[in-house]
Amino acid sequence: MTTLASALRSRSATYLLALIVIAVLPLIFTDSYWRTNLIVCALNVMLALGLDFVLGYAGQLNLGQSAFYGIGAYAATLLVTRLGVPFWAAYAGAVLLAGLAGVVLSLFAMRLRGHYLAIASLGFAVITYQILLNWISLTQGPLGIYAVPPPPALALPGLPAIDFHNLAALFYLVAGFALLSYLLLDQLIRSPIGETLAAIREDEVSATALGINCAAWKVFAFGAGSAIAGAAGGFYGGFVGTLTPDAFFITESFTILAMVVVGGIGTLTGPVLGAILLTILPELLRGIGDLRLVVYGAALTLVVLFMPGGLAQAARLARDRLRPANTP
Amino acid sequence: MTDAMVAADAPVLLRASGLRKSFGGVHAVQDISLGVAAGAVFAVIGPNGAGKSTLLNLLSGVFRPDAGRVTFDGADLTRVAAHRRVRHGIARTFQKIRLFAHLSALDNVVAGFHIHTTVPAWQYVIHGPAFRANHARCRAEAARLLAFMGLEARASVVAGSLSYGERRMLEIARALATAPRLLMVDEPAAGLNAQEVERLVERLQTLRRDGLTILVVEHNMDLVMTIADRVLVIDYGQHLFEGPPAEVQQHPGVIAAYLGDEAPNVKP
Repeated sequence: MTTLASALRSRSATYLLALIVIAVLPLIFTDSYWRTNLIVCALNVMLALGLDFVLGYAGQLNLGQSAFYGIGAYAATLLVTRLGVPFWAAYAGAVLLAGLAGVVLSLFAMRLRGHYLAIASLGFAVITYQILLNWISLTQGPLGIYAVPPPPALALPGLPAIDFHNLAALFYLVAGFALLSYLLLDQLIRSPIGETLAAIREDEVSATALGINCAAWKVFAFGAGSAIAGAAGGFYGGFVGTLTPDAFFITESFTILAMVVVGGIGTLTGPVLGAILLTILPELLRGIGDLRLVVYGAALTLVVLFMPGGLAQAARLARDRLRPANTP
Repeated sequence: MTDAMVAADAPVLLRASGLRKSFGGVHAVQDISLGVAAGAVFAVIGPNGAGKSTLLNLLSGVFRPDAGRVTFDGADLTRVAAHRRVRHGIARTFQKIRLFAHLSALDNVVAGFHIHTTVPAWQYVIHGPAFRANHARCRAEAARLLAFMGLEARASVVAGSLSYGERRMLEIARALATAPRLLMVDEPAAGLNAQEVERLVERLQTLRRDGLTILVVEHNMDLVMTIADRVLVIDYGQHLFEGPPAEVQQHPGVIAAYLGDEAPNVKP
């Protein structure tokens, strides 16, 4: 039981550290350019975590994450601007709608695996993008929706109202949701659900022989992963202020996939590290012009070639090396 | 003779009648009927390609039969999905061992407790007392099953790194985690050395003494003669003979089809 207790301690320490990092970051990066990047990081962390739950834990290659992101963004924005729904109700609706879209897609794709599922989900991403682009009466197509307000100011009793026009406040909000997503998945993976998903990922025939309804659990994982993408999307409109379909083009799905792969498939820290690195790296490389795309591509290739476990594996190796040899 | 004969009036636990299954033009199983008495060890033997594994897949629900019925303890399972049959109390292993290769031996067995997980849904997110109790119970039970199959020292080893014999034993331990009433094992002795076969036989006999009904598909005649109460012989997907093991050895058709011209070299 001492190992369980120490594991719990190290988990609380990890969450505490994450809270401190989130609290300190906007104090270090005070200009709006870097604060904007911080928020993009937090959104990408959510997208990568959601995808990794489907890909790394349930073993389903999903290339539709950009579509669930877009569904969340458009649903939250349209509910507010068209129907006057309060922001947080619209946000909840966006999460539900994206999750529901994931459930429906996975019900259709149930019999598909591996490459076929990847292509079906990519097709879904293409269709969703085309709908956002061409259903002009609803989405205003490529013109986009302008002047989307940020989430309404939050009035906590006894404190001054928190205005989300302030990028630091908005970062705290989005990063808080990213941390909640992480906590939610962390808890699910440590529960019997994690064991069930691992069994399905490893061998569906065996899992079925143990009484596991593989189809139902894959639908669940898809729904959860896309709901988290929808939760990221729900903040997008209010954060950027304008909403155009281009942000949810299929290349976004591949960028999110790259974040998961570079970070480490099937770990929770991996997608976080991968999302941060692949968000910040292109910004840091802006100085070298178009050459940055070459450097970016080369860095990606090197990671996949020499560190297939991603940054999470590298971090583990480094920690084991630093740790004194006599402690287990 | 087997050490414990099953009472002649023991109720039939698993019954199959008129099972048929064809793949294209191949009639893998043609009109097979069988009844496995509760508490018995029922063996299915036959030459390679006789349809033994297909029969097992029909019984466990991997395949739907073209015709015929499967009932278990009175319930009609013919149209019941494979994963639902486990909840009725049917567990199985595979001829080609199927384990969760990247999970530890212990975690392989823990996955077997899926249908017995008693945790309210909200505790999957907020781990409460029921969650912790279930967690502790599954791991203790899994460790007990590993010890029973002689794998206690290998609990934390990744299943893919276990020896062949250990993997066979682990697959049985994992099937037992579902708490079955009927265990169907597909060629459990294949690839095992004599010592491992002996341990396997001893474990199966212990399980049977504890009340488990066992259906075994097997090539190893020694094993079949030692543990089976009743033997079904099939060839080319067809029923050839069914009876007690002693009679199987005498039956001229069986000897010709399965054992060749020479009488089997087995101890009575």
